[in-house]
Amino acid sequence: MAEPDCPIVLIPAHNEEATVGTIVAQVRLLWSCPVVVIDDCSSDTTAQVARNAGATVLPLTLQLGAWGAIQTGLRYALRQGYRTAITLDADGQHEPQDISLLLQPLIDGQAAVAIGAFPERASRARRIAWNYFRWLTGLKLEDITSGFRAYNHTAMTVLASREASLLDYQDVGVLLILRRKGLHTIEVPVAMQPRVLGASRVFRSWWVVGKYMLQTSLLCLARVGYNHLPPAADD
Amino acid sequence: MITYQLTSMAIGIGLAAIILFLVRRDHLHGPYAIWWIGTAATVALLGLFPRLFDVLASKMGVSYPPVLAIVLGFSLLLLKMLTMDLDRSRQERLIRRLAQRLAMLEAQEISSSTQPPSPSRTKGGERNPETTEPELAAASPPLPQGERDRE
Repeated sequence: MAEPDCPIVLIPAHNEEATVGTIVAQVRLLWSCPVVVIDDCSSDTTAQVARNAGATVLPLTLQLGAWGAIQTGLRYALRQGYRTAITLDADGQHEPQDISLLLQPLIDGQAAVAIGAFPERASRARRIAWNYFRWLTGLKLEDITSGFRAYNHTAMTVLASREASLLDYQDVGVLLILRRKGLHTIEVPVAMQPRVLGASRVFRSWWVVGKYMLQTSLLCLARVGYNHLPPAADD
Repeated sequence: MITYQLTSMAIGIGLAAIILFLVRRDHLHGPYAIWWIGTAATVALLGLFPRLFDVLASKMGVSYPPVLAIVLGFSLLLLKMLTMDLDRSRQERLIRRLAQRLAMLEAQEISSSTQPPSPSRTKGGERNPETTEPELAAASPPLPQGERDRE
């Protein structure tokens, strides 16, 4: 059984054999907490590399996408009795030493979810997309798609539920569920490395972007006026 | 000389026969079978008595009965397609949860094969009723009621 104070680090990975080993090793070196890599049906040796680096690997038999992988990790963390979870991208964008910055608001009880934000990384197109979603949802967050987050136990339980299983992306839909449940989300400015290898899973091609924009817009519109709790001061 | 009654009877009975055959062969799962048996009965009835639509149309104020048949048939098709997508979404949710659960089990299997579960994990606490495999029950710590319900 896990110690209650010990956070668990969740890293969703899809074909990230080049970087995942380094990330796992770095996290384990800096923080002596358990690292779980959720292998989203990779066709390369991601799982083996992660295991060799000392991570627990959750091998998905079907490709569920980034959010499906993170939810797997959250469910696993809850089963194992962890009360705090950190999510991190496997491509080396996020600095493991910034984990403490994310944990602090959770420890202080300021928020249920802390998001590591680095809005400067966004391209013009991505900024337009974020502005559009902010306008559509009324969310006040700067970096909507950041995968560098810390969740407390309540947020983990909410997001591990069936309700969140049909989401395809970890951004707007997840943030809307959190807001609906009255959970406070804050952003913490962090530094981010440029993506070392590979490309973003969402901003890949115009077709994928179009599908993403349409699906997410519909998700926002479907929630208009539905259980709107007053948004917390700075979420 | 084949009358239109013969044609409609052949189509109706034929469709109903195919559906009944499939249901009897167990190719259609419970709730779907009920829907299709209903369809088979309707198709057979309308095939045998195509004049039924004339009666129905005049009662409903439709001056050209075949249009009523087409519109009703089309609406039912749309309704059926809608329920199919609802069901597919429900199944998608189930499949995702299942894949996640499988991943968790596989990770536990690997860790329990490399290191035997510590005694502190196996003793005490209620067990997850969903877990029937003894190894799993031993390897996973008991969950609070709220989390178990969400599994």
